[in-house]
Amino acid sequence: MASRKKFIWGDLLAGLLLPLGLLVLWQVISCAGWVNASILPSPVKVLKVIEDSLADGFLLKNLLISFNRVIRGFLFGSGIGFVMGTWMGLSKTAEKALGPFFHAVRNVPLVGWVPLFIIWFGFGEFSQVVFISVGAFYPVVLNTLQGIRGVRREYVELGRVFGFSRLKVFTKIILPAAVPSVFTGVRLSLSTSWMLVVAAELFGVSTGGVGNMMMDAREFFKMDIVIMGILTIGAVGFIMNQLLAAIEGHFLSWKRRTA
Amino acid sequence: MTEAGKLYIRGLNKKFNVDAKEISVLEAINLTVERGEFVSIIGTSGCGKTTLLKLIVGLGGSYEGDIILNGKRVDGPGLDRGIVFQDHRLLPWLTVSENIGFGLDAKIKKAERQEIIRKHIQLIGLRGFEKAYPYQLSGGMAQRAAIARSLVNRPAILMLDEPLGALDALTRMYMQRELEKIWKEERIAMIMVTHDVEEAIYLADKVVVMSSRPGKINKVIPIPLARPRDRDSYEFIRIKDEILKEFHLEAEKYFSYSI
Repeated sequence: MASRKKFIWGDLLAGLLLPLGLLVLWQVISCAGWVNASILPSPVKVLKVIEDSLADGFLLKNLLISFNRVIRGFLFGSGIGFVMGTWMGLSKTAEKALGPFFHAVRNVPLVGWVPLFIIWFGFGEFSQVVFISVGAFYPVVLNTLQGIRGVRREYVELGRVFGFSRLKVFTKIILPAAVPSVFTGVRLSLSTSWMLVVAAELFGVSTGGVGNMMMDAREFFKMDIVIMGILTIGAVGFIMNQLLAAIEGHFLSWKRRTA
Repeated sequence: MTEAGKLYIRGLNKKFNVDAKEISVLEAINLTVERGEFVSIIGTSGCGKTTLLKLIVGLGGSYEGDIILNGKRVDGPGLDRGIVFQDHRLLPWLTVSENIGFGLDAKIKKAERQEIIRKHIQLIGLRGFEKAYPYQLSGGMAQRAAIARSLVNRPAILMLDEPLGALDALTRMYMQRELEKIWKEERIAMIMVTHDVEEAIYLADKVVVMSSRPGKINKVIPIPLARPRDRDSYEFIRIKDEILKEFHLEAEKYFSYSI
């Protein structure tokens, strides 16, 4: 366990080499005036915008609006996904009935739904949340199904030895055994949701949010804000993943040696 | 009551349906296990030993004939019977004490549960490992925890399905002594399936020799030796030879004439 937690400065440095190099190159290009500053503002200028946007709450306000959409879409999609995955995992009949349809529909790329959603649900908020939830849905269904199918029969037999009811077998044995797999699904689902909220804001009509912030900035040719948006999306996605990995490491430590 | 803790098996037949063909797995099994008696069952692979244990535990489905415990015909699992499998089957997401308390009768109150778990951890000598996870235990320790888990409900009879089969030779001998100690302290009947003739004799009050296809009881050999038993004693070796003879594996006899 100790070796896992050890922080290695060399690795960090190696990881920072490329972004720092790009940053230097970017600054050099800007200083030399090779590119029009309105197309590619200098790092210093972008940094200034980030500083200002953080100070007046502009960035945070938009982030929160996006988060709000992400959470709704994610909870809705992954919730239904969990129920459906569980159902298909527990019942062969359910899998036979739902499986083929599910796998066929899964082959439609997410953007393929956009025209339909626009007609059905309009351009607005609701349409965007539905779009996110479709993306959040798939990874949870697949991983929950896989997790439940993967539960060792021997564990279930153990529950029968102790005379557990079907419900108790599910809550005490099947579900905990499937948690690591479900968690993988949730992790994928959440990061997909975060990527999709930006896409949803780009195609839809709504106010606020990181995607809308970037679209508005583009209209006024404020490339510094556009770049801030890109950096924000990347940073939030990265932090979210690290956070979930940490949670997973903490709660599923038993999984490390038994996989 | 003389019936308490006593197990009768009378005219037991068990058939499996394989590819629409009926295969007889157990035929005309008659066996009596006295209260607190230790019975070893020995036989080649495929003689239906495990099936017999599963039927007694109540996991084997329907059967012909009678299995009667405490004057009641066995019909499904119950807390008056416990089983230890060859794989310890500890749940990897629970600690040692959580595993031991896992099958504990739900009617028992929390304070009493803690007390029962504590006592059993003491019994199997795992103090200090209450909070350890199964992956942190050695094979022998894990199997001891599994034995404790099967004892918490104070069953009248405990089935042991090759419980020491996965352990190395030295750990195995140590565990045989531990098992004998636990059996003496708990004063419950045990039926152990094993491949190891020496192990069978070392632990049992009587050894049941089974033959395969269909599984039948060939012979029941009482072991009248005083405990703890000496594996090198003349009587021990004589009984061992008698059992091996059943499998046509007796030792060559020339030494008997060289005295």
